[in-house]
Amino acid sequence: MNAGGYIEMDAVVKKIINEVKRGDQQAFAELVELYKDKVYQVAYRMLGNVHEAQDIAQEAFLRAYTNLESFDMNRKFSTWLFRIATNLAIDRIRKKKPDFHLEDQVAGTEDLTYYSQFASDEELPEDKVVKLEMQEWVQNEIMMLPPKYRSAIVLKYMEDLSLKEISNILNLPVATVKTRIHRGREALRKRLRDS
Amino acid sequence: MACSSDDKRLIHKYLDEEVTLLEKKQLESHITKCPECEEQLQELRKTVAIIQSASHMKAPDDFTDNVMSRLPKQPRSTRWKVWMKKHPYLITAATFFLVFIVSLQSIWNEGNKEIVVKGDGQFIVDKERGVVVIPEGETISGDLVVRNGNIEVEGEVHGDITVINGEWYLASLGQVTGEINEINQMLEWLWYHAKEFFNDVVSIVDNNNGENNDKSE
Ligand SMILES: [Zn+2]
Repeated sequence: MNAGGYIEMDAVVKKIINEVKRGDQQAFAELVELYKDKVYQVAYRMLGNVHEAQDIAQEAFLRAYTNLESFDMNRKFSTWLFRIATNLAIDRIRKKKPDFHLEDQVAGTEDLTYYSQFASDEELPEDKVVKLEMQEWVQNEIMMLPPKYRSAIVLKYMEDLSLKEISNILNLPVATVKTRIHRGREALRKRLRDS
Repeated sequence: MACSSDDKRLIHKYLDEEVTLLEKKQLESHITKCPECEEQLQELRKTVAIIQSASHMKAPDDFTDNVMSRLPKQPRSTRWKVWMKKHPYLITAATFFLVFIVSLQSIWNEGNKEIVVKGDGQFIVDKERGVVVIPEGETISGDLVVRNGNIEVEGEVHGDITVINGEWYLASLGQVTGEINEINQMLEWLWYHAKEFFNDVVSIVDNNNGENNDKSE
């Protein structure tokens, strides 16, 4: 996206936020529409489960709505929203029992729901199947990363965000974000090598 | 060739696209001599490409509805004020409440909807078709409001026409000197609470003229 696009987008988002602040609850739906896919993606990539992803992503929007007054209009809304979503996802991961059987989960019942998000046809052409297997494999690898590396990698390579934005979202110095990305990358590389 | 930790660090700096030209040259010259670092760099690039190749995901279709239905309920007064701001032209319709004229029970539609017409003059209400007809040769002086019905103008209307929950049709010989406003998707509750509506509106009726054309929605 070019700089002009950002400015335009920001202006639209600010206008909507002001409408919501003035009491127009319905205007909030426009914000949800703008960011739902990205927030859902972050949640899914962090949690690896469609139900939890939906739950956390919805919760993130609800929190954003109830805390909208505390949002600093000079900042980027998406950064703030991602921060809420990532924190919720990390909290959810912490609350879960230590789970090192993630492969079972991803390779088992979750497959169907995961596939259904990408595929609408009953019969999948072969290349599509390969693509889905690839997708599943990627998600599986992401899930094997410790959460603190996982969040950095997801924001960097799946949401395509800058180090500065990631540092704002995760509330960490840029140097720490870099280290996490480096370590996440290394861990993924080693797994890729060994698989 | 032995690798310094500097070389390893440079690999990541390179992947972060943060190397200076000098550092880039340094790394490039190193990997021509060091298969281990070259392999590592290649593998990391592949890893990144694979992660990036993951499809972007879409939230479920009912996502927005689910979020909206879970938002805390607003007091009605707020809802009303906001709605009023978004639909200032409705104030025009509100002024017609000041003089109530005809209300006819209609079998048209669900049976519990009435065609309500306000206007000064001769007009025909076709209950079966749900249409208010201004016949040829007839002249209505003043504004006309039709709710829950359509209007066909074959005669003349010297004023505005507002059609709420309906459509209008202007015959080739028909004439309307004012504006024709069509207001659909009317919020039912607005009508059920017409009294509150009336009270709220009285104070702002006089200064709404400039806003009538502001159909922002
Ligand atoms: Zn080396």
